Amino acid sequence: MTAVDVNKSILSASRWLDKVSILLFLAAWELAPRLGGLFETFIAPPTVVVRTLAEFAENGELTGHILVSLGRALAGFCAAALVAVPLGFLLGSGFRTFERLVNPVLRFLGELNPFSLFPLFILLFGIGELSKGAMIFWVCLWPILFRTITGVKEIDPLLVKSARTMGTGIVTLFFRVILPAAAPSIFSGLKMGSGTAFFMLIAAEMIGASRGLGWLVWNAQVNFQIPRLFAATVVIALLGLTLDLLFSVVERKVLGWRQSSHA
Amino acid sequence: MARTPDAITDRILRWSGVAVFLLLWETAPRAGWVDPYFAPPFSAVLGAFGRLAAEGTLASHLLISAWRGLSGLAVAVAVGVPAGFLLGRHSPRAGEALEPLLRLLSQVNPFTLLPLFLLFFGIGETAKIAVIGWVSLWPILFYTVTGARTVDPLLVKTARSLGVNGGGLCRTVLLPGALPTLFTGVRIGAGLVFFMLVAAEMLGANAGVGWLVHNSAMNFQIPRLYAGAVAIVFLGYALNRGLLTLEQALFAWREAPSEAVTGRAARHVLRPGKGGAALAAALLILLFVAGGWEVRRVNLAAVSGGHSHHGKHSLPTPERIEEEKQLEQDLNGWEPFTDGGKGK
Repeated sequence: MTAVDVNKSILSASRWLDKVSILLFLAAWELAPRLGGLFETFIAPPTVVVRTLAEFAENGELTGHILVSLGRALAGFCAAALVAVPLGFLLGSGFRTFERLVNPVLRFLGELNPFSLFPLFILLFGIGELSKGAMIFWVCLWPILFRTITGVKEIDPLLVKSARTMGTGIVTLFFRVILPAAAPSIFSGLKMGSGTAFFMLIAAEMIGASRGLGWLVWNAQVNFQIPRLFAATVVIALLGLTLDLLFSVVERKVLGWRQSSHA
Repeated sequence: MARTPDAITDRILRWSGVAVFLLLWETAPRAGWVDPYFAPPFSAVLGAFGRLAAEGTLASHLLISAWRGLSGLAVAVAVGVPAGFLLGRHSPRAGEALEPLLRLLSQVNPFTLLPLFLLFFGIGETAKIAVIGWVSLWPILFYTVTGARTVDPLLVKTARSLGVNGGGLCRTVLLPGALPTLFTGVRIGAGLVFFMLVAAEMLGANAGVGWLVHNSAMNFQIPRLYAGAVAIVFLGYALNRGLLTLEQALFAWREAPSEAVTGRAARHVLRPGKGGAALAAALLILLFVAGGWEVRRVNLAAVSGGHSHHGKHSLPTPERIEEEKQLEQDLNGWEPFTDGGKGK
């Protein structure tokens, strides 16, 4: 009990310190361009960024861009998960030899740089939504697929065998043993995939789009609107952080039993 | 060491998979299953490789990209490792306080930073190296902090009680203790390097594998584009392999995962000793010097000779300077809109 209490007090102290560090950072960011004239033209202080954001939010432009970007990321990510998870289960369980056969090729494809593929996607799908969706799909596909294969392959054989000896059918075996045992690994794949999806989305929108957060960055850059550039950067960073937190929360809810069994 | 039959089947399976893939790649466009314009057969891509190699530009592109990637990684290591030790070991309270800020900064998308880096550093090599350094900095920093924090306290206390302090403690206990974790961070950072490098080279460069892909796409030279994409994969693979070899050389004292854990016979790995590590270091330095030279040469050529960086480079001759002056004068004298409307 005492150990927990000490932990809690350290935690609350560090929570307080966290805020101080961020506040100090914001203060430095605010003062550097104002006082020293340091890179005045290149750095927009946070107050200006907040004002720009408020203006954006007022005319509804900001939410529009955010929704467009999130919609694109979500579509690509969901498509990738729908393909990669079942495929990973098949390759990891039923078709082990086939998996060993295709593994080097899959690794090669997974290593292919998405930027070198983007021109091809544009050639194939045009410069519309489809090419951006295909790019995000491609980027998300590999971490999810590889992590699912690993998760299914590394299930403790003892669990499967004991379930079998107790006469468990194949469907129950799948839902009660294989799926929960592989879930942590699949989840880490999904998390990695979502991070890269967001990462690539911005790049894809910078290369060719007429709306979205990446477009906002690109447009601000081209027009040398530094406050807008900073505002978009901040929104993107905050969205990425939120996404990360959201995944952590869902992970704790879905895989709560794992933590409790460890403690 | 005799290979087990299982290892041999594994090898056969792996390579037959690759062979089938290459065969499909060759036959599918030829048989018309896919559009050969978008997916040229493998032989055409090999042909593009051959042409690039014959021009002598392939080696140049590879060298330049490797130099940029390694420089970015070196900057990230030079910043991330000392900072990580400082935050993880020297002043852990500051480390804890700064962590949320650092997490927030690590979430800042590098693509949105690229324009800012261009503003600060111009469109030269510095902006590219800075953005690559930024991307690979975060995993290196976070893993170093973790590594420095999780050094076995028993080892540290033992060393302290034996009178080892300061620099000696750092060199003999803390660094080796944190090195495995630190190296994982470096490898993750290295994985991101080429990801970012290609993007940076696409946005503004005049050589390098990323430029090769971008330029091929602009000119619809699809086989050349595929060749560039494959070259990037191999570059990334080579970097990863090199780091793995270095890791095995450095951490030979660490136990390899045993058969009982992995479930199958451990694959025989080459364990290079000190000689191997020295050789790797020498190769790296050579790559740095040669790459730096090549980047300088190409950039100078781009400044003096416009777009030419294919084949041999030569300083502009007096005739050529005359020619360009003449051309410039012609262009200045040609004013289509001032007299075009009136007509002569």
